[in-house]
Amino acid sequence: MTEMWVNMGPQHPFNHGLWNLRVKLDGEKVTDAEPVIGYLHRGWEKMVESRDYQQIIPMSDRLCYCSALTWSHVYVSAVENLMEVEVPERAQWIRVITIEIQRLASHLMWLAAVGTDLGSYTIFLYAMRERELFLDLLTNLTGARMTYNYMRIGGVRNDLPENFERDTLRACDLLEKRIKGEYYQLMDQNTPFRMRTIDTGVLSKEDAMNLGVTGPNMRGSGVDFDLRRDDPYEKYDEIDFEVCVEKEGDSFARYRVRMREMLVSCDIIRDAFKKIKEGPVRVKTPRNAPVGTAFAHVEDPRGESLMYVMGDGTNHPYRLKVRSPIFVTVSAAPKMCIGYKMADIPAIMGTVDMCVGETDR
Amino acid sequence: MAEEIKKRTTYLSRGALKPRAYVGDGLKVTFRTLVRTTIHRPNTIQYPWETLVKPECYRGRPGITLETCIACSKCVKICPNKCIEMVPIDHPTLGKVKRPQVNVARCMMCGYCAEVCPTDAMIVTPEFELAAYTRSALMYDPIKLQHERKPGYIVHSPMVTPSEMKSGRTDSHDKGDMAIKDTVQLDSRKCISCARCSKTCPVGAITMTDTGELNPKTNKPVKKPVFDDNKCVSCEQCVDVCPKSCLSMKEAM
Repeated sequence: MTEMWVNMGPQHPFNHGLWNLRVKLDGEKVTDAEPVIGYLHRGWEKMVESRDYQQIIPMSDRLCYCSALTWSHVYVSAVENLMEVEVPERAQWIRVITIEIQRLASHLMWLAAVGTDLGSYTIFLYAMRERELFLDLLTNLTGARMTYNYMRIGGVRNDLPENFERDTLRACDLLEKRIKGEYYQLMDQNTPFRMRTIDTGVLSKEDAMNLGVTGPNMRGSGVDFDLRRDDPYEKYDEIDFEVCVEKEGDSFARYRVRMREMLVSCDIIRDAFKKIKEGPVRVKTPRNAPVGTAFAHVEDPRGESLMYVMGDGTNHPYRLKVRSPIFVTVSAAPKMCIGYKMADIPAIMGTVDMCVGETDR
Repeated sequence: MAEEIKKRTTYLSRGALKPRAYVGDGLKVTFRTLVRTTIHRPNTIQYPWETLVKPECYRGRPGITLETCIACSKCVKICPNKCIEMVPIDHPTLGKVKRPQVNVARCMMCGYCAEVCPTDAMIVTPEFELAAYTRSALMYDPIKLQHERKPGYIVHSPMVTPSEMKSGRTDSHDKGDMAIKDTVQLDSRKCISCARCSKTCPVGAITMTDTGELNPKTNKPVKKPVFDDNKCVSCEQCVDVCPKSCLSMKEAM
């Protein structure tokens, strides 16, 4: 049997977005793989150079539809570092809470996508049902379901609405109950799901570190690293939380890391609501940034996202570089796919949590 | 603390598969959900006939109140997509005035126009069903842009100044407060007394006043602009129109 190249994408049921995974098949076995990205390139980094610092915030929301808040957060953090702005304490706590809500929503979106990848439409509906709770919370807070435009340079747009704490804690309790009950029985204890994910897509610890894989994918390979703990930003240094690590490195380990992270996020939200204090939520910032460079990196739901801003003394950046977690993680696709059957690829790449909007920018 | 958190968040172990889990567990969950959703019907809404309850702060298309708008063009300047434009209209009570026109096809519903509006004439409305058959139908002229007002539609983003935060003051200022207002500064050596700034000012905060000097060539009194900071809305139209660029904005910090 001769080997042949098969294009999985750019429009393929398993692809979350527009990207192409070219795989070389020997029969059914994958002997080589090559990710091809760039179908969704919008010239984001060039586009923002003609906008001033405030106008870029809604643009950075559009980088990733699953986790818009973390992207606008990393952008405003970078600009705050450039302008040397000190953010009020209450704003930092609100940022922690909203980012964790966003992480829950993003991981639930990923769970829904994995469900459809592996043919379980039930888990898609269940995860979307819970995601709606958190999107409703953010709608009440920010006024939009996906592109929030909530972060501001020097704080956040508005204070928490009334009953926000009560609703958030209720939603977290419900999600925790569902993860430990329904999701565990539907996914962890599901034979077809376990057969398709356990021992497929193994990414060793060395490969994960060498290829620059970050976030839950790296922690699924046994690397104990989380930016929230190891380089704390905002108020994460005042919160005690568990970093979820699974040492197996297969698709099931990546799945479990994300499920455990959702529980940890619920705990962080509860802890943050206990420690939040009254105060202002936004500080006025200068219009023009000084000449110089600054960067900020945060723990995105997908990995380490970084923005590097170069200011030239005017009110728009000279250069804005985005380090996208999935752009780097997708380079590990050959390592994960080679040696497995073609039918395993949706299970392997589904658990990586692709988001092409931020990858191609 | 860490131990307690770990115990609370312990997710059931990776563990081996129990025999009953082949069909039993999953079926139990789906059957329970089936019973629950059947009892608590309906679970979905019939969209075109009934809609979800949206919060008042929901950001749909922008809306405007023509009477309170002062045509300061702040919304035009802040709009990231440059979809707002000032157009002349003939209003029955206001006469011939300029008011913003929004190209809703390009609008990204960020709400900045309402956030910077000094008189809260621009609001964000919860109207999101904007589909139209033609592109020209999405060009909302000031008359079409009008919308009823509710308190929740107004966007406010209270803030403090960095100097106040250092001194420990915690009450934040809303827009229009003197503490956070950017004011105009005049470099009177460059000024040629053309009075364009006072003509363009939308709130009449600039008056041309005598300085007491006489122009040596024409023997007429020299007039220079004086700025009333309380009336000023920091719209920067005077800065833009100044032919000798002698005006600049001083930021309140």
